Amino acid sequence: MVGEHSKEFQETGRPVVGEMTGRERVMAALAGQAVDRTPVCNPTSVATVELMDLVDAHFPDANRDGEKMARLAATSYTELGFDSVMPVFTIIQESSALGCEIQWEGKDNWPTVRMSKPIWKSADDVKMPSDFLKHPDITCVLDAIRRLRQELGDEVAIIGKTMGPWTLGYHVFGVEPFLLMSLDDPGHTKLCLDRMKEITVAFGQAQIDAGADALTLPDHATGDLVSGEYYREFLRDLHTELVDEIPIPLILHICGRTVDRMDYIAQTGLAAFHYDSKNDPAESMEIVTDRIALVGNINNPQTLYANGPEQVAEEVVRNLDAGVPLVGPECAIPLQTAIENLKEIPLAVARWHADRDSSLPAASEVQDR
Amino acid sequence: MAELADIPNEFIKNEVDEFVEREDERAELIELYSQSAPHLLEIGAAIISGRNEDADRLTVEALERGTGALEVMDDGLIAGMALVGIKFRENFIFVPEVLACARAMKAGMVHIEPILSASGIEPLAKVIMGTVKGDLHDIGKNLCIMLLRGAGFEVIDLGVDTSADEFIDAVEEHDATLVGMSALLTTTMPNMGRTIDAFIDADVRDDVKIMVGGAPVTPEFADEMGADAYGDNAVECVEVAKRLVGVTG
Ligand code: B12
Ligand SMILES: [Zn+2]
Repeated sequence: MVGEHSKEFQETGRPVVGEMTGRERVMAALAGQAVDRTPVCNPTSVATVELMDLVDAHFPDANRDGEKMARLAATSYTELGFDSVMPVFTIIQESSALGCEIQWEGKDNWPTVRMSKPIWKSADDVKMPSDFLKHPDITCVLDAIRRLRQELGDEVAIIGKTMGPWTLGYHVFGVEPFLLMSLDDPGHTKLCLDRMKEITVAFGQAQIDAGADALTLPDHATGDLVSGEYYREFLRDLHTELVDEIPIPLILHICGRTVDRMDYIAQTGLAAFHYDSKNDPAESMEIVTDRIALVGNINNPQTLYANGPEQVAEEVVRNLDAGVPLVGPECAIPLQTAIENLKEIPLAVARWHADRDSSLPAASEVQDR
Repeated sequence: MAELADIPNEFIKNEVDEFVEREDERAELIELYSQSAPHLLEIGAAIISGRNEDADRLTVEALERGTGALEVMDDGLIAGMALVGIKFRENFIFVPEVLACARAMKAGMVHIEPILSASGIEPLAKVIMGTVKGDLHDIGKNLCIMLLRGAGFEVIDLGVDTSADEFIDAVEEHDATLVGMSALLTTTMPNMGRTIDAFIDADVRDDVKIMVGGAPVTPEFADEMGADAYGDNAVECVEVAKRLVGVTG
C-alpha cells in the first residue's frame, strides 16, 4: 500500500515530511500502517462559501454538476493542503435518485430531503430503481470522481461517499416512523436495512469503478438519537457485511456522542471511524485501540466556525497527542467557516511532527508547501 | 413531605428511584405521584413504558369510572410524561423510546381533548413552534412539542423550514402568546434573529414571548438576537415556557 517513496522511511523508521504523497499517507493510515506524518483527512464536506467563490463553483450547482463538484472538491487539496478530497457535499444524492423530494437550497445552505413526505412504508417498498445508477444526481458524483482522478492523479486520496442503510431509512421512511418501526418491529426493520444495503453497495461500487480510493459511510445511529445497544443490534453485523462486500477502505461517519458504541464499531473490521468532538480523543483511542483508525474530531460550530486558528491548533494537538491516526473536522463544516481556520489543520499537524523530530523542516518551511 | 414509599404504584416508585437523580425533581415527582390515585398512576406507567394500547384503554376506563378529564390528564398522562422527559435528558432512554411514549400520550389525549374543549377549559397557553427557514432538523423540536403538550400547552406545529411570515401569520391566526424556534445549523441560526426582526417590523413583537433552542444556540446568542429566553433541552423548554407565560410549578 505504501509507495516506493517511503522506502527510506520504512528502513529508518524516521518520519520525513513530504516523503509520502497525500494519497499514500491516507491509504497507509487507513490500513493501520506507518506514515511519515499524520494525514489530514475530510471524510465529509469541507466546502465553504469562500471556497465556492474562489473557484466559481457554488451550491446548489456544485451538488448537481460533476465538473463544478470536482472543482469545488479539489480545493481541499489545492487551497487547504489536506491529504484528501471528497466531492459529495450532501447526504442526499441517492435519496434524490430513489425519488425523495429534495430541497436544493441556495449558495449558502445545504440541500436536504423533505422527510415529512416519506416515499416508503415497509420492506415491500424497498426497491432500487433499475436506472438508479443513471440518475443525474448519481452520475454527477461519478463524473466528479473521474475528473478528480484525472486532474489530481495519484497525489491525493479521493474519498467517495455512500450512505448507509440507517440514514437512508431516515430519508425514505421519515425519521420518526423509522425510529418507531425499530422499536415496534425490530425484525422488519432489519429486513428493511438489509434490503437498503444493496443501494449502499451499488453506489459504493460505482464510485470505486470511477476511481475512488476510499468511501465514507454515513450511518447516523448517534447517541443523540439511539442507544449504543441499538448500534449493536441493528448495525454491527450489517457494517461487517459491508466490509466484505465493498473492496476498498470504508470510513464510518456518525456524528454526536458515540463512545458508548465505539467498541462495537471497532469490532466490524471497518477501516476507519469518523468521530465527533463530543467524544474525547484519548478516551476514544483507549476504547478502539488499533482495531479501527479514528478520523476527527475538530469541533465545527465552536472551534472551526466561531473560534480562530489558535483553538483549531489546540484541538489538532489533542488528537495527535492521543494517537488519533487521521485528523480532520468532525462532520460537514459550516459553510461560513473561514479558510484560515481550515488551513491551520495541516499546519498544526506539520508543526506537531516537526517539534518531535528536529531533522524535519521547521514549520515556517512547511507553510510554503 | 411525601416519601418514595408513599407512591401507590410499584413500577413508578422504582422508576423514580432509579432514574431521577436531581433532588428538587425527585421531591417534586414524589409529591406529584404520591397524591395521585392508583388507577391514574397505571396510566402514567403506561405512558412511561410507551404502551399506547394500554394508555388508550386505561384512559377510557378512568373516564367511565367517573374521574374528571382534567384529573386523568394531569395525574395520569402529564404525570407520566414528566418522568419521560427527565429520563431522556439523562440519556436513560433515547429518541425511539420517547416517540413511543408520546404516541401513548396521544392515545390517551384523544379521549380527553373533546371533553376539555367542550367544557371550555383553557390550555396553559397557545404556543407556535417551528424549525427556522432553511433548516430541516426537527427531532429536537418535536420532542419539545411532545413535552409542551404533555405539560398542558396547546401547540401549533409549523414543521420545518419555517419563514418569518409563517411564524407571524400563525401567531395572528391562533392568537398565540408564545413562539418557540429551533435551529440545528450554524447557517440557519441567524434566521432566528431575522424572524425576531420581522416580528418587530410587523409591529407584533410585544404580543408574544419568544423562546429559542437547538444544539448550536447559546444563551448569549439568544440574548443578542433579542429572544426572551433560551432552553437547553426539552425539559427546560417546558420550564421556560411556563416562566414566560407566568405559570409556576
Ligand atoms: C439527526 C441529524 C440529522 C438528520 C436530521 C433528521 C431530522 N428530521 O431532524 C439528517 C441525517 C437528515 C441530517 C441532515 C443534515 N445535517 Co445533521 N445532524 C443530526 C445530528 C446527528 C443529531 C441532531 C438531533 O436530532 N439531535 C437530537 C435532538 C433531540 O437534539 P436537539 O435537536 O439539539 O434538540 C434538543 C435541544 O437542542 C432542545 N431544543 C431543540 N429545539 C428547541 C427549541 C426551543 C424553543 C427550545 C427551548 C429548546 C429546543 O431540546 C431538544 C430536546 O432535548 C446532529 C449532530 C448532533 N449530535 O447534534 C447533526 C448536525 C446538526 N447536522 C449537521 C449537518 C452539517 C447536516 C447536513 C448539512 C449534512 C449534509 N452535509 O447534508 C444536513 C442538513 C439538512 C438541513 N438543511 O437541515 C451538523 C450541523 C453543523 C452546524 N452546526 O452547522 C451537525 C451538528 C453535525 C456536526 N457535528 O457537525 N442531520
Ligand atoms: Zn455528521
